[in-house]
Order: sequence, then structure tokens, then C-alpha cells
Amino acid sequence: MPEGSRGVTRAKDLYRDRFRRAKELKGEGRKILGYICLHAPLEMMTALQIIPFRMLGDIYETPTQVDRFLPRAFCPFVRSVFDLSLKGKYDFLDGMLLVHSCDAMERTGRIWESVVDHHYFHFMDLPTKVCGRHQKFFREGLDDFKKTLEELTGKELSFEELKKAIESHNEQRSMVRSLYEITEKVPPKISGSEILQVIGAITSIPVEEGNNLLREVLAEIRKRKSGNLKGPRILVWGSVLDHPAFVEMIEDLGAHVVIDDLCTGTRGYWADVKLDGDLLSSLAYYYLVELRCPRTFKEVPSDGKRKDYSADLEERFSYLREFTKTWKVDGAILQSVKYCDCHGFEVPQVKDYFNSFGIPSLLLEHNYMIADREVLKTRVEAFLEMLRGGVE
Amino acid sequence: MGGEEKKKYINRLKSFLPLRTKIDETYKKSIEAIQMGRPVAWAMINAWYGDPILRAMELETVYPENFGAICAAEGVAESYLNRADADGFPSHLCGYARNCFGYVSRMTKELKGEIPPEAPVGGMPKPIFLLSSNIGCDARYKWFQALGRYLDVPVWVLDMPIPGVKEFFRDGVYERCIQFIVEELKEFVHFLERTLGVKMDWDRLEKTVHDIEEMNRVWFEINELRKAIPCPMHSRDFWSAMPPSLFLAGKPAETLILYKKMWKEVKERVDHKVSSIQTEERFRLLFSELPPWHSLSVFENMAERGWNFVIESWSYHPPPPLDLSGISDPLEHIARFSFHFHTAYFKDALEEGEYYGYMGYPLLKFAREYRCDGAFFHLPLTCRSTSTHQLYLQEKMKQKLKIPSMIVSGDIVDLRLFNPAEVIKRMEIFEESMESYRKLREERF
Repeated sequence: MPEGSRGVTRAKDLYRDRFRRAKELKGEGRKILGYICLHAPLEMMTALQIIPFRMLGDIYETPTQVDRFLPRAFCPFVRSVFDLSLKGKYDFLDGMLLVHSCDAMERTGRIWESVVDHHYFHFMDLPTKVCGRHQKFFREGLDDFKKTLEELTGKELSFEELKKAIESHNEQRSMVRSLYEITEKVPPKISGSEILQVIGAITSIPVEEGNNLLREVLAEIRKRKSGNLKGPRILVWGSVLDHPAFVEMIEDLGAHVVIDDLCTGTRGYWADVKLDGDLLSSLAYYYLVELRCPRTFKEVPSDGKRKDYSADLEERFSYLREFTKTWKVDGAILQSVKYCDCHGFEVPQVKDYFNSFGIPSLLLEHNYMIADREVLKTRVEAFLEMLRGGVE
Repeated sequence: MGGEEKKKYINRLKSFLPLRTKIDETYKKSIEAIQMGRPVAWAMINAWYGDPILRAMELETVYPENFGAICAAEGVAESYLNRADADGFPSHLCGYARNCFGYVSRMTKELKGEIPPEAPVGGMPKPIFLLSSNIGCDARYKWFQALGRYLDVPVWVLDMPIPGVKEFFRDGVYERCIQFIVEELKEFVHFLERTLGVKMDWDRLEKTVHDIEEMNRVWFEINELRKAIPCPMHSRDFWSAMPPSLFLAGKPAETLILYKKMWKEVKERVDHKVSSIQTEERFRLLFSELPPWHSLSVFENMAERGWNFVIESWSYHPPPPLDLSGISDPLEHIARFSFHFHTAYFKDALEEGEYYGYMGYPLLKFAREYRCDGAFFHLPLTCRSTSTHQLYLQEKMKQKLKIPSMIVSGDIVDLRLFNPAEVIKRMEIFEESMESYRKLREERF
């Protein structure tokens, strides 16, 4: 990483070499735990001076070792992350937290725990539904997790440290939301692919370092001159995009990705953890109810007799309408890695929802790897042309 | 003149047929219920979690997963799959789900809610609600949620805790999970009472739960008898006879009697060393996961060569019996029994350093206890739930037990993806592998 790099450049450098800073900190004696999904309660790790490190895949590395354990017709993202682990790329971690976010994660986690030697491995179950009883059950699971972290570190997780950690992570969430406020502008002063890289960077370093980086990035972006490139404004929805290549492909075709609904984008930053009352309950609420992911079952309460499909879609997806309005979205690209059941079942309903208020959408399924980008390009081009016909 | 009937090599039990017909009765009763103005539910297979409640409320229930298997076996699934594709559902999704989407799309968009005339077993009538759970896979609740595009009926999800193997043994986890499940059941009962306008008959529930436990105990004992050499009951009979246990096809009190008759027939075979195949039992095999419903005749080819399928995957078997005699609350009975289904082998798994405590580890245990020479892994393309562990298990079986396996790709519904000819072609080579590993086991163990 070039010395003295700051702001967006430093973020991109950190993102490109995500392991480097983590390994430096490991060398200084810090403990680092890997996690994959958004539902991992980062604050609990931070409060015990453990660095939470989001494990990503690699769209350029062909999975090989993982073929011993997982079928090819399987979530390619999970295959990639597991493959990197089997190749020793994640050996610097002190352990892993695996949350039951979806089948791919849960089933692979069982195998992972059996074949990779971890000093620490914790499987955290996650309820499917979100009502009070489920939050309480999850809170009790967080208490179990707390005990394992205390066993790992030999320290007690205090209320004060947890409160401080929540405040730091909430500050991070607020600053990421500020990044997206900048993309409300026409044209935006920061690209969607840059935002993904910034988020990719901050999920590889301690929260305080991430917050310092975000301050630099925001200061820099706010000073940028607006470009005058007009182009279709796109919302990207769907499953994990842990590399900016997909978004870059859209932007290279002259569009602006101004907002997203991704777990590597807005989903982890759109609400804050409440600081009143029992903090573990607040974390349970945030990580089960506030996080938006199709793996969680939310349905509008019915009178037991009839379900109103439109009302159900509105209950589940109204934030997408808000996104569309606030970010002046012209079209939505619904992308999903192949074999993702949670997003795959969701796609026709999300499409129906966008149709209900006249936003065109394009569905793209891909196999995660870089080679797929070229195949998808033609379809994206045609979609953008269609939008341009409406925009100009 | 005319085709001669092909010789059968699988020695089917007589007692499987009355159990098999319970599936057809299920569909017939659902149609009759609708004709009489009574409601019908659709449910996912739920490991005896919600089913006892439905039975006690005397709500006729059909199972779209089973319907998918029937559509595949009857050769009508393809049109429903194509329709689901046209309606925008990705083709990698669960074949049973896509079959259901296509069926419902046709029913509601073309036939104004009437059952499609081509539907097998009389079809599935429009339900009053959909019961799903997270047991087994995400598709189980995402599928029913997505049906909202076509059906204006509510979805009820029963949430089942699924702890890790190590985590299960932490202080308080077990009881906490049981309490949670009991509360889920209470809420489900209230929902049903509101929806159906009738109160739960708690005495009937208690009797139903008792019958289910007893029925599953007998079914478990039948499968224990299959450890005998030669094996008295083939997997084909298992799959035909499993529905009354797996999703309570038929009344538990009646199917208990039928399972007892089956136990007697199987025990007699054990006593007289009668095999479930007409040829010499040269190889004993485990079959992993869902069979290719549309191509079951391939098992005859395998039986002809002396391959006896003696045990199947964990998912379809009842758990070992559990002593619940000290518990009076039927909801707690259901909670403990259903949770036990998932966690029964966790202790053994932990002792062996295996963390795939359900789905995965039980296959190792079964392969060992049923003295298998090989395993046949059917890798269904559209069912990640049943395919995730297979490569891992293949390696583990070879490493720990010196049991080889063959993996054949296919699907649960899309018959284009399974090639019986490929299986037949590979049989001879796999026999050599099984012979060779048998010698290795004899030397080593």
C-alpha cells in the first residue's frame, strides 16, 4: 500500500490487499475472528478487543480444493470462501463465527468445522422469524456466544465496553449512510463500485480504523467536483457482491449505480443498534429484525383467512420504493449468484413489486466468477439502452 | 404375443401395499373434504412438529413435496416445471417447488382455482393455509411465501432451532430449545383455532401424539431388522412404506396396525433368512437421499446383479425411540420428539469429532451398523439440502470405514437429468471397488 495514501485511494488499496492490515495487527498480538454473513454481532467481538474480519471469496481464483467437499451445483460464493480457507488463505484468523443465515452457510459450516482446524469455532443458530419470542431466543443465543468469547479471551464482556463498541459501530453505520447520501445527487460524486470497495475495506480492519478511513473518504468526496455525465440511475439488488467488478461493468456502460440492496452494501448499515435497555436484546433486535435479507421470514400479519399479496410485498419491500424515489432510480438490476435459494425464490416477488410502480427491472443470474461478467454485459447493455430511451 | 413382463428381482413385501395406498387416500380425502365444504391445508414435511396438531384438529392435509415426487413418477412434472420457468422462477430452485408453482399457476391463472385435469392422484385442492417450517431447508418456507403470487392464503412457519453439535451440549441449550418449540406450538394452535373456528381437542391431541410415537417406534424396529444378513427389506419397500410415518399419511392408529403387520412379515423373513432380492446378496448398499422417483426401475437392474439396498438416509427415518413417559403435556411430547429427530446422533457425532450431526454423521453410523459394502449417492441438482454433504461423506466413508461410494447426478423431478444407462454402465466397475474395499476391511477391522 503506497505510504501516505488517503481517502478513497487508501480504501481501494486496503480493499485490494484485505489481509495485510489484519496480519499486521495479528503480529501485534490482536485476536481476529472471521465471519461471513451480516448477522454476526460485530460489537460483541469489538468490545473484547477482537477484530471481526469479514471473509470474502475471490472471483479470480478458480475453486479447486473445495471440490473434495462441496458439489459444483452449490452457492459459488460459499464455495469460493471455503476454498480459500482450505488453501490456507485464512490461516491468520484465530477462529470463526458461523451464523446460520442460509442452508449453504449452515451445511458448509458443519463440514468446515470438521475439516479445518480452528482454535475457535462457534456455530450460531438464527431464528427464521422475527417476533418477540424469536428475538428473545436469539438473545439467549447471543449470551452463549458471549460466554465463548470470554472463554477465548479470558476477559469479561462488560456493559461499558459493549456500549462503547455499539456506539463505534453505529457511528460507522451513520458514515456509510452519509456516503449513500452523496449518491443521491445527479450525477453522483462517488460511484457504486467505489462504495463497495470502501465497505470491503472497512470490514477488514478494526472499527475505529474503519471510522477514521470513512472520515477521510467523506471529506474527500464532498470536495469532489460534480461530473456532468448523465446516464441511467440504477439500483442493484440481490445476493452477495464482494467484488466491484459487477458494478464496474454497469458503470463502464455509462450508468450510475446510485443505491443498492446488498449485504456488501446498504443492508449492514441502514439502521442502528439501540442503546437503551438490555444491550444484548438490542443486538438481537438489530441482527434479526433490522437486517434485511430474504433468509428471514417476514410476512404481514393476516387475519388468518386471506393473504393480500400486494400488502405483503409492501410490508416486505417498501424500503425499495423509498430507495427508488430518493435516489431517482430509473431501473433495477436484480442479480443473484446461482443456487442461492433465498434470493432465487424472492426474485419474482421483487420484480412484481418494482412492476407495481413502473420501475423496469432486469434479472441476472451468475456463477460469481469474473468470467461471467462478459456474458452478462450484453444483457445489461440492452437494458440500459431501453432505459435511455425512456430517460433522454 | 405382446411384451412379456420383465422378471422382477426385488422381492417386495406384501405389507408395503396398504401403507403405500395411504398416500392416495390422503389426496382422495382432501378432495372429499373440499367437496363437503371442509378446509384443507398444504404442509411441508415437518418432522412431526406441526403434523400432530393438524391431525388432532382433523384438518385434511396434502404435501406438495410428495405431490412433486408423484408428478415426477407419473411423468407430468415437465409441463409444470416449464411453466414455473416461464413465470420467472430460476431453474436451479427445488424441483418440487417449481413443480408446485407450475401446478398452482395453471390452477389459478387458467382454471379459476379448479384442479388441473391432468394432475395425478386427483391433484391438490386449494388450501385454507400453508404450513411450512425451516426444517430441512430454506426452500421450505421461501417456497410457500412465493406462492403468495397465486394463492391468497396465509403462510405459517414453524421455527425449529438447529444448534451446532458442540453448542447443543452447552448448559441450558437443550431445555431452552424445548421451551421455544413448545411456545411455537402454542401459537400455532391459537392460529389454527382462529382460522378454523374450532377449539383444540386436547384429549385427541394426546392420543394422536401417543399413536405417532408408538407408530414410529414400530417403524424404527422394522428398520433395525434390516441389519440382518441377508437384508429382508429393500429400499423400494422403505420408500413405499415411509409416508405414513414421514408425513402421517393415514390415521396413526390405523397405520400403527399396518406397521405391526410389516414388522411381523420382516421378522419372519429374518427368521427364515429370506432376502429382499431374488439373487444372492452380493453387496449391501446404502442409498443416500431422495431416489430418482421417475426411474425407480433401475433398482431392478441393480438387484439382478445382487445389489441389495439395505438402508437409506437419515432424513426419512424416525429417530431412535425416546422415553417420554414422565411428560404429560402433549406439546412437550411433540417438542422433545421432533427436536430429538434432529439431535439424536449428536452425542455419537461429537465423540467421533464429527460436526455434521444430522444429515451427515448418521450416514456413517448407518453404513457401519448395516454392514454396507458401498454407498450410492444420488446428487439431485435442484436439492442442495440433500446434496451438500455427499462429497464430504464420500471421503469420510472411504477414510474411516473403508466403504467406497458412487455418485450419480440426477434430480428429484426433472427426469432429463438422471441417466439410468449411466448407472448400469458403472455398476461393474463399482463392484470391483466394493470387492477390493471389502478385502481391505477384512484385513483392517
